[in-house]
Amino acid sequence: MSLSRSAAIVGAAEAVEIGYPEEPRTGLQLHMEAIHAVSEQTGIPLSEIDGIFSAGASSEIAEHLDLHPKYIDTTSVGGCSFEMHVHHAMAAIYAGIIDIALVTHGQNGWSQRRLRGGGGGYRGGGGSPGQEMTMAYGLSGAPSNYSHAMTAHNHKYGTTPEDFAHIAVVTRQWATLNPRAVMFSKETHEAGGPITVEDVQNARMISWPLTLLHCCLVTDHGGAVIVARPEVARSLKTTPVWIAGAGESMSHQNMLEMGDFTATSAHRSSQIAYEMAGMGPEDMELALIYDSFTVTAGVTAEMLGLAPRGEGYKLWKDGTAAPGGKLPINTNGGGLSFNHSGMYGMQLLIEGYRQLSGTAEDGVNGIKGKQTNARTAIVNGTGGSLSTTGTLILEAD
Amino acid sequence: MAYNKPIPTPSPLTQPFWDGAKQGKLMLPRCTNCNRVHWYPRHICPFCYSNKIDWIEGSGEGTLYTFAVQHRAFGGWAEEAPFVTAYIDLKEGDRMLTVLRGVDPNAPGSIKIGSKCKVEFEEASDEISIPFWRVVEEASA
Repeated sequence: MSLSRSAAIVGAAEAVEIGYPEEPRTGLQLHMEAIHAVSEQTGIPLSEIDGIFSAGASSEIAEHLDLHPKYIDTTSVGGCSFEMHVHHAMAAIYAGIIDIALVTHGQNGWSQRRLRGGGGGYRGGGGSPGQEMTMAYGLSGAPSNYSHAMTAHNHKYGTTPEDFAHIAVVTRQWATLNPRAVMFSKETHEAGGPITVEDVQNARMISWPLTLLHCCLVTDHGGAVIVARPEVARSLKTTPVWIAGAGESMSHQNMLEMGDFTATSAHRSSQIAYEMAGMGPEDMELALIYDSFTVTAGVTAEMLGLAPRGEGYKLWKDGTAAPGGKLPINTNGGGLSFNHSGMYGMQLLIEGYRQLSGTAEDGVNGIKGKQTNARTAIVNGTGGSLSTTGTLILEAD
Repeated sequence: MAYNKPIPTPSPLTQPFWDGAKQGKLMLPRCTNCNRVHWYPRHICPFCYSNKIDWIEGSGEGTLYTFAVQHRAFGGWAEEAPFVTAYIDLKEGDRMLTVLRGVDPNAPGSIKIGSKCKVEFEEASDEISIPFWRVVEEASA
């Protein structure tokens, strides 16, 4: 079988007013008019769309429609992006990941010059009402958003910031085994080396209830991985690590639309990945969980089924996640203490490969002591404000 | 003193909201097909996918869903830190972000989720009045 004729374009429509409209249009409006029209044309309800493709605006468009797609592609490489979207959509359909893909475009090249800035937008949605309705309230980046999730978790489950502080403490233990970690020791950073719950709670307050040590580092990082077909993988001198499962999803873009602040789309993305792998949480021997903040890691552990709802933090508090524990988590020292460059997904992948290929111990700089015996790993990245998630299930050769 | 914090710029979609705010009214988008209120404003109803959306005047009442205290901020907000940001569940449905008034940012333990809140407006410019919410009745512990 081949990709050829494995999918078809079943409808095509345009926004109501195009060209030089009388009243200025926003990019988002042009997207939405076309989307509404193609839904009417095909009779496909928007709720049936499970893959979204646009040049740079996919999470905003999906949120506007309250869609929680399983395939999110926002390839933005110029005018040919849309042909590529069709190609990617066909591949996703062929692979059995999705059934119905929406490829959408909205660009107000004319009108943007006539709008005062409320609703411009060259490539993307433009005219973002979510942003417009939240920009007045003094939020300043990720910590100022994620803190609201910690408060909600504390309220709903009776947890405390101290509970989550254990995540920072245990993750630091792992960092002290990784000479490449920023917080490896007092030699690598003045605040490096082991920390206590008291240290975490007494650190400078950033966005209550998150102190500085509940927050990840801001560092530099570069990384790359290569994925190849089995025949190639078998011919190389390196040990392959197999991608047993993969899944992705999103619940929102703007935290305003999150709904339950104690739950993320990692539940759905991991369910998809587990199903593909034919495995479950009980089969995981290692977890690499995006820890932009302690609350991110704690909540995500719950979403991945590694702990009951409300009890994710216990994996760290009772030592399960620690060096020598039953389910090692974030063996590189995490975004909290190893490295976090703004987007931490690559660091997760590299650690996953090293652990399952058995090369963590003799990694780049002769890393000692953090090699686990894990044969399986769940790797979960989180983007935005607890918004988008991608899960991989990896298996040793 | 002139308002020195970020001021939103309306788009054609959101203009009715800001027109209402200027008069002290909390205008909310409501779908004429399913009658549900959503926030933020949409071109397509996120509940039933109709594109027939109207505006109603909201009650300006809501309850506190969750909050945080911002100790670090930029621009005009830096001068006000620490201040409390909060998500308010509207009486009509759906949720708004705000800076919460009538609470003590230095005693976050005293702020109660579920407290009743009311909207008020601050004139930021000739065109724009910004909604803020205030706790008017504390939830019992």
